[in-house]
Amino acid sequence: MKTLVLLSDARHPVSGRPAPTATELQAINLARGLADEVSGLHAGPDAEAARGALGHGLARLEHREIPAGHDPLPSLLAAIGSEAPDLVLAGRRAGAGAQTGLLPYRLAEALGWPIVADAVALAVDGGVLEVIQALPKGARRRWRLRLPAVVTVHPAAPAAASFALGTARKGQVGAAIGIPAPLDEPAMEERPYRPRPRLIASAAAGAGAAERLRAATQAAGPGGRVMVDPSPEEAAQAILDHLRAIGVLKPASGR
Amino acid sequence: MSRTRRDPREEREARRLDGNARPRWRLDTPPSSSRLRRDPRREAEAARVPGAARLRLDRSGRVAGTLAPPPIAAEPIAAPTIRIIEAPAFLIAVVPDAPGGRLTPLDRQLLGAARLLSDAGGGAVLVLSFGAVDGLGAAGVDRTVALAAPPGGDPTMRTAELAGLLAALQPRHMLFPESATGGDLARRLAARIGEALFAGAESLTARLATRPAGNRHVEQRAAPPRLVTLAPDAQLPHTGTVHEARRLEAPEIAPAPAHDAILSVEDLPVAADALPLAEADFVVSAGSGVTDFELFRELARALGATPGASRMVCDAGLMPRAAQVGASGTVLEAACYLALGISGAPQHLQGVARCEHVVAVNTDLHAAMVERAGLAIIADAQQVMPALIAALKAESQR
Repeated sequence: MKTLVLLSDARHPVSGRPAPTATELQAINLARGLADEVSGLHAGPDAEAARGALGHGLARLEHREIPAGHDPLPSLLAAIGSEAPDLVLAGRRAGAGAQTGLLPYRLAEALGWPIVADAVALAVDGGVLEVIQALPKGARRRWRLRLPAVVTVHPAAPAAASFALGTARKGQVGAAIGIPAPLDEPAMEERPYRPRPRLIASAAAGAGAAERLRAATQAAGPGGRVMVDPSPEEAAQAILDHLRAIGVLKPASGR
Repeated sequence: MSRTRRDPREEREARRLDGNARPRWRLDTPPSSSRLRRDPRREAEAARVPGAARLRLDRSGRVAGTLAPPPIAAEPIAAPTIRIIEAPAFLIAVVPDAPGGRLTPLDRQLLGAARLLSDAGGGAVLVLSFGAVDGLGAAGVDRTVALAAPPGGDPTMRTAELAGLLAALQPRHMLFPESATGGDLARRLAARIGEALFAGAESLTARLATRPAGNRHVEQRAAPPRLVTLAPDAQLPHTGTVHEARRLEAPEIAPAPAHDAILSVEDLPVAADALPLAEADFVVSAGSGVTDFELFRELARALGATPGASRMVCDAGLMPRAAQVGASGTVLEAACYLALGISGAPQHLQGVARCEHVVAVNTDLHAAMVERAGLAIIADAQQVMPALIAALKAESQR
């Protein structure tokens, strides 16, 4: 079982210094549960951020050197072709740059492998990978797929192993020249980020404080149904019927 | 403080009585204000003691019956006007998540953004949905196409069908919500057809879209490409005119097989009682009206809901602090909130503000929570709880 973790040229969100991203470190942690030796793969001008992942349980790091602003996909494909891993793990988004989260999908498409996003647990049984995928509202989905595959990791996955200086210094970095691939499309215009206000429909702009408090605490629509002093059985049935009508409870099995 | 200015002419026009050559106005009930204006002449007329030669008024209310407002001719109810776009210049395709056939708030915002894009150039909004979706016309949809691929499970088939539709219908843009399902589908489609994806747009017009990048230190700006995903709370949903949501026949697309390496995809049951409140979809909450907390937890288990509590209960140590709902506890994102014995302090209601449905059980008819609730039961929560558990048990045994 050979597992490869994709590492981005990540920056710390506050200080801006090179530092590996949390989901990539969590991916290393998940991969160590499947195989003893986990390698990392990074394509970019320098591997300073990816080198930081060596202290979190990565045994070896493959670095493919390409100029800044080039597409890393051809270099990654070439490296995956020579390493021949069974499983490629990636974070949810890169730790710097455009952060579209598109690269694992393009990689899976180019390799023809299946991709599962947002994994929180992995298990392998005889060439079949079982992935537990995190969905919103605490829901989980179980995927069973034949290896090889590409899997991205969700922040709800188990926490990464803590940093150990000894393993970080023992880890090997294999550097090679990657395949330069300049992007065809022009780079997007960039400006300093300005946070935009979240638009909320009910709070009218320019309304007074009382109106805004009412909008924050009351329902937008008209008042609902009120039952005064029903018997407990009537009340229970009314609540269950209402919950079924709004789709919160599943319909009763007997009906 | 700003307050909307009253327009007396408009208010008077709203009260105009029709059917007469001479203009007449209803002056007894001002339509704009919730407070009723007293009409002393009508009150005096109602209090007049009948049969007396001399004018006698009985102000005690015994003689006069109920003071019913004078009957007015019922206005014919106008049918809601539906805006129809016959020959759109272009199409804006939208792929909503719509779990269980209901639009999510982000889906409505996405349709609002699509409405703005299409209205800017005489286009139409087209919804591509997997399975039927309710309330599309009111959300501003002109055309719908129901797709054949299954809504759950392997997204490979859905991606292939969307790629086929993109080629067949040639929409100007295809918009996805930046949610777990929608974002995944958009990225799969972008990788499949090798096109650029504008992921997580925070503003979107026909000329310019912006998105955060570089750990939210950089804003990227560009003319939006064909594939765009929209971030939550970036656009307002469409309100006002109802659109027709006409159903179109889906163009013939060769069905794509599922990826042969994917053996099975199945949804696991949600362990609701172990969920953090911020993630929960259905919350049952206890306030001062609940005294038996074993019963309360049993009810939460039986309903499959996450237990929550008010500040009073958490302060008393009856429920853990992590279960507190409200401004100083957790602000919920749940679809439904069942409040047992909670009157609804403003700080508590702030925690419930983003819940779609609220059900309240309270002894006080005038509690703020009763006003907020879609269904309010004026009864003792301690007696409703065992009845609910018994009703659920009886249904499961049937």
